[in-house]
Amino acid sequence: MQSWRRKSLWLALLASWLLVLLGLFPLLRLAVPTSPRAGAPQGWPRWLDAELLQSFAKPGELLEDGPRPPQALRGGSCNWGACFDTSKCRGGGLKVFVYPAAGPVSETRRKILASVEGSRYHTLSAAEACLLLLLSPDTSTGECDPVPPQWDGGRNHLVLSLHPAPCPRTFQLGQAMVAEASPTVDTFRPGFDVALPLLPEAHPLRGGVPGQLRQHSPRPGVALLALAEDGGRWHVAGTDFSACPWDGRCEQDRGPKQTHPGATLPNATFCLIPGRGPDVLHFLQALQAGCIPVLLSPRWELPFSEVIDWTKAAIVADERLPLQVLTALQEMPLTRVLALRQQTQFLWDAYFSSVEKVIHTTLEIIQDRIFGPSAHPSLLWNSPPGAILALPTFSPSPSDFPFYHLQQGSRPLGRFSALIWAGALGQPPLKLIQAVAGSEHCAQILVLWSSEKPPPTGWPKTAVPLTVIDGHRKVSDRFFPYSAISTDAILSLDAHSSLSTSEVDFAFVVWQSFPERMVGFLTWSHFWDEARGGWGYTAKRTNEFSMVLTSAAFYHRYYHTLFTHALPKALRTLADEAPTCVDVLMNFLVASVTKLPPIKVPYGMWHQEARPPPLEPGGPGLRQEPQPAAQNCINQMAAGFGHMPLVSSRLRLDPVLFKDPVSVLRKKSSPPPRSCLTPTPAPDPLRFHSRVCPLVPTLFMLPRKVHRQAPGLTRESREGTAVSSSLWPGRCATNI
Amino acid sequence: MCASVKYNIRGPALIPRMKTKHRIYYITLFSIVLLGLIATGMFQFWPHSIESSSDWSVQKRSIRDVPVVRLPADSPVPERGDLSCRMHTCFDVYRCGFNPKNKIKVYIYSLKKYVDDAGVPVSSTISQEYNELLTAVADSDYYTEDIARACLFIPSIDLLNQNALRVKETAQALAQLSRWDRGTNHLLFNMLPGGPPDYNTALDVPRDRALLAGGGFSTWTYRQGYDVSIPVYSPLSAEVDLPEKGPGPRRYFLLSSQMALHPEYREELAALQARHGEAVLVLDKCTNLSEGIPAARKRCHKHQVFDYPQVLQEATFCVVLRGARLGQAVLSDVLRAGCIPVIIADSYILPFSEVLDWKRASVAVPEEKMSDVHGILQSIPQRQIEEMQRQARWFWEAYFQSIKAIALATLQIINDRIYPYAAISYEDWNDPPSVKWGSVSNPLFLPLIPPQSQGFTAIVLTYDRVESLFRVITEVSKVPSLSKLLVVWNNQNKNPPEDSLWPKIRVPLKVVRTAENKLSNRFFPYDEIETEAVLAIDDDIIMLTSDELQFGYEVWREFPDRLVGYPGRLHLWDHEMSKWKYESEWTNEVSMVLTGAAFYHKYFNYLYTYKMPGDIKNWVDAHMNCEDIAMNFLVANVTGKAVIKVTPRKKFKCPECTAIDGLSLDQTHMVERSECINKFASVFGTMPLKVVEHRADPVLYKDDFPEKLKSFPNIGSL
Repeated sequence: MQSWRRKSLWLALLASWLLVLLGLFPLLRLAVPTSPRAGAPQGWPRWLDAELLQSFAKPGELLEDGPRPPQALRGGSCNWGACFDTSKCRGGGLKVFVYPAAGPVSETRRKILASVEGSRYHTLSAAEACLLLLLSPDTSTGECDPVPPQWDGGRNHLVLSLHPAPCPRTFQLGQAMVAEASPTVDTFRPGFDVALPLLPEAHPLRGGVPGQLRQHSPRPGVALLALAEDGGRWHVAGTDFSACPWDGRCEQDRGPKQTHPGATLPNATFCLIPGRGPDVLHFLQALQAGCIPVLLSPRWELPFSEVIDWTKAAIVADERLPLQVLTALQEMPLTRVLALRQQTQFLWDAYFSSVEKVIHTTLEIIQDRIFGPSAHPSLLWNSPPGAILALPTFSPSPSDFPFYHLQQGSRPLGRFSALIWAGALGQPPLKLIQAVAGSEHCAQILVLWSSEKPPPTGWPKTAVPLTVIDGHRKVSDRFFPYSAISTDAILSLDAHSSLSTSEVDFAFVVWQSFPERMVGFLTWSHFWDEARGGWGYTAKRTNEFSMVLTSAAFYHRYYHTLFTHALPKALRTLADEAPTCVDVLMNFLVASVTKLPPIKVPYGMWHQEARPPPLEPGGPGLRQEPQPAAQNCINQMAAGFGHMPLVSSRLRLDPVLFKDPVSVLRKKSSPPPRSCLTPTPAPDPLRFHSRVCPLVPTLFMLPRKVHRQAPGLTRESREGTAVSSSLWPGRCATNI
Repeated sequence: MCASVKYNIRGPALIPRMKTKHRIYYITLFSIVLLGLIATGMFQFWPHSIESSSDWSVQKRSIRDVPVVRLPADSPVPERGDLSCRMHTCFDVYRCGFNPKNKIKVYIYSLKKYVDDAGVPVSSTISQEYNELLTAVADSDYYTEDIARACLFIPSIDLLNQNALRVKETAQALAQLSRWDRGTNHLLFNMLPGGPPDYNTALDVPRDRALLAGGGFSTWTYRQGYDVSIPVYSPLSAEVDLPEKGPGPRRYFLLSSQMALHPEYREELAALQARHGEAVLVLDKCTNLSEGIPAARKRCHKHQVFDYPQVLQEATFCVVLRGARLGQAVLSDVLRAGCIPVIIADSYILPFSEVLDWKRASVAVPEEKMSDVHGILQSIPQRQIEEMQRQARWFWEAYFQSIKAIALATLQIINDRIYPYAAISYEDWNDPPSVKWGSVSNPLFLPLIPPQSQGFTAIVLTYDRVESLFRVITEVSKVPSLSKLLVVWNNQNKNPPEDSLWPKIRVPLKVVRTAENKLSNRFFPYDEIETEAVLAIDDDIIMLTSDELQFGYEVWREFPDRLVGYPGRLHLWDHEMSKWKYESEWTNEVSMVLTGAAFYHKYFNYLYTYKMPGDIKNWVDAHMNCEDIAMNFLVANVTGKAVIKVTPRKKFKCPECTAIDGLSLDQTHMVERSECINKFASVFGTMPLKVVEHRADPVLYKDDFPEKLKSFPNIGSL
């Protein structure tokens, strides 16, 4: 009986175990990850007889598809190859003729005309022009122009309209290209037409308002989104934007909101712009404000889309996926946001901020089409300073320009050419030539002889080739791109300048770190003169500076090309008339390209009395105030540029051990002392307060340069500079 | 479960009372049951793998066995292609929905054989290339088996060559696909469109709204931003092994290798050859080849026989003329040979032109200007030619080489349209790997000088040196541009002093407590940092004057993308040991600054915390050293620029501190620092640090000028 009970007990126990295990097994199966399907590829099957399949084309079918004669033009459709006659542009490149306006001229039209006339492509003769520009009828006059005289079926014509045409054209477009604001994607012919931005009526002719971005990263707490509304207004959504803030689809709480009046710019990270026509104006506003445009299925072609890579500055999203777009914007990595924001500012400043820039960009695009293979590479269009300021005629390779070394992973050449401007001068500047030729980086010396007298014959023998160029006695000649200049760096000098070799060497090494800027010794600074209501500049020593004198300065040879070929002729003439102006002009030019101040390096100050200061050609002395005429020059330049490009700097770059109370042996810019025990007699400006270490063997007294050239001691870094640690001069100054 | 526990507890108490034979009996029974259960369990797992291996065998099927679909003669035909289609009108983006990976999902219809009423097949079932293409798609990340989740559909109907199919019946076959829906979101691949006599430039099969990835589009048939222009695949790519030939001068300047040219073009080319002699070579079909040699691999000029495609490597420029079709397979061969294609085909949409910059790899010459072609090409400088040759070869390698490359590039383009915020950039598409490797894209590339009014945030990392910390706070608070002070309290065992004990300063002071005592905490992008400029400062840096710090901030404003610091350090290459060495001697050169006091952009905090390569961050935290070297590496690597050393300051040792056990401590310190440099250089794969020979001083520093007129008169000494 008892055994029966025990049996039943055991049976019950077993049964419960069984149940538990059976119940557990499915659970276990879930816990164990489903084994990968034994490597079996899913989806498309691996056919057993795949090897036997035929090729998609029969042998020979790819090679002979039946020859066909050249095609005649398809009616109404044009492309660049078929409808533009580039043979007219052979030789002189792009020459643009613009039809003169008949009757009253509206403001916009006047600006366009002024821009074209200020362009380097402008010509007054319709016969020699290869592009004929026809301005679309004005909104204000309301009259429609008749067919222009040289129409010829529209061949080589560009019909330009900054605003949508008010009346239908009285003639067929024929083979003419169309440049209009925000063309619809359906009629736009890529590679033939040009898409322009829709500019507000009051867009400035020159210069223009700079971008609103004052700092690289968005301010903390700034709204994520601003939404374009009718009438040029912006609706700034608060941080809570879970409710879709557009389309009026969701009427619930839109979060804290401010509605700005018409002209204000959005203050947000992203700007949502619907893709329909009337919102086009918002696009430029967002660009200027540094607010990343998020375009929702735009029906219009983005401005200059042929050359500008808009994916770097804007986001074109699908309006049908609002929530996805919102999430993507929220989750966008900071790196991308930074890059997009900066690109909006660069593009605004380079191509959109003034009517002149828009027109010049248009012409530059046409010029690029004519150039074909030697056009601007995409890099030049899409990174600072932009294609208007980077002339493709200078070089086909971006690494020849001063701006793209980082992107190209290249470096400027390690030598420089000294360009000495000799004006009214009888004697060759022997001392200067010796000092410059003594630099290890000097590749050649060019003397630009601009005197009435013939150049003297007694030029000194130098280690580097010396060439005398006969100038044209114009001050602007010193910035002509002479083909004799063989290096990236130019050391511009006056015959009066006085420099030591160590100063030249140091300045050049600094320039190599900043190849796009000017590196000079003597400086001027500009200021706003309240009393006269204009700009002024001074040569007085101040705590900041904004210009360096070209009588002793390093800069990239590209600026010669830019000075001669890109500056308006009027400004160069101005510089020729008032010679001090040339320095101002060159500094304006470089600053408007770099948007950064020049760089000052130290100049032997207590030698000032002993040697004549570097002089500007024919102008006043160094410490004198610029003449009133010269003061006027800066204002004329500012008017010519449309804004004041100069930027001030408060620092000077000195050698690392400059005037430090450490051993002279550590200092590079000094000549090697003959013996440790003899202090060097003549105090070198860069070697003040030098102390000498008495107990270091002479072996270690060699200058660093010698070590550098010793075989097997080069440092193989990306920099390419070389130093050996083991031979580094003693430890004498460690504890000073 | 409860029951089992209950019995389990009572179980052991029962056992001793059992008789031995019963016990054996029960134990045996128990183990049998247990074994049975284990077997069941095994069996439950087993069939799964059996199933998948049976799957595998099913995968390897024969094409002859695919199901046959009979198309009635009156089954519907899709509309002709809609030329006005754009992504936002004809593409159903809702199907792509939200996808956190920003990848579209592609479904491939299973293979079927289509026959008409009479049983005559509509087309050859599938070509080798199309099979390869579908395999490539199925193997990619885009593929999904789930038709309901797919956003893009690829029919398995082979449309690569229009000549090999019956237009109307193929269209009917398309129309009966299960998700056809007027062709929405369907992607069709076609390389040889049109047929005699008029050779349309797009596939003639009516396809309604389907996207077309076509070879040989012209401007009139190509729907910008909707269709994708693809290359015509050259089967020679797989057949012939053509080793890369570097750029440089080649024997022929211009070469034409196409066989089927219109007599008018051939005359034009012959005239070119007559004018320029040896430099131009025009090849034609060989007429007297012996049997067995494939005609596709030989070209002739008069009686001279050349190997194709090897001869292409002998020429700098190769003509790619339009034939009856605009897309020519020769383009692929030419690119592969590193020969620069001279495209003479007006209105031809070049392959992948939406993303590829063809100006960098080819020259387009209008048909009208064909006689000038020599002059146009001569005007291209040699350096640019070499660049284009490299680019041409790279395009082939990346986008033309195989059917797989073509398929994936096509899907990537469509993917980028649907997820534009995750699109890959111009540089990713166009720069060859060598350029990508060498180039640096500075994250703060816009040249601007931030406004002074913004000020900077000082971050003091401290552990427990409260007294010294308070002195630092007091000193730093005298700097005019300071806008906020942040104390990072790195001691978890001790609470920071009470609020009342802190020095009273004019700017907000915040204390952040950290979870762990890590050096990286100094570079964390705290939300409290509101300014762009950050001053990292140690809690024992009291020797820096207010002028010195203010000037440091002014310098940072002029170089906002750099590290601006006080004492500079240098890295050197030790030839004997073949490794890097850390140098703290006072040399003429600087490649690093100490972050014991340094200004930098707060973005670098973000990079340091989230984007630091490799295990550098952990290394720094483990060694409790070198966080400054890591920061120097990071900034130099990402910006490609050198640091700026400010003012003569060379060391941070406070004057009153005595050197305890100075030398030996110094030695181990140096060794450790050198080790850091070597470690970081190997993680970065390069030595990013830049050496410069300059430092920044105020404009009038040490000038003979009244001190009281100088902006920063009180610049400290060494």
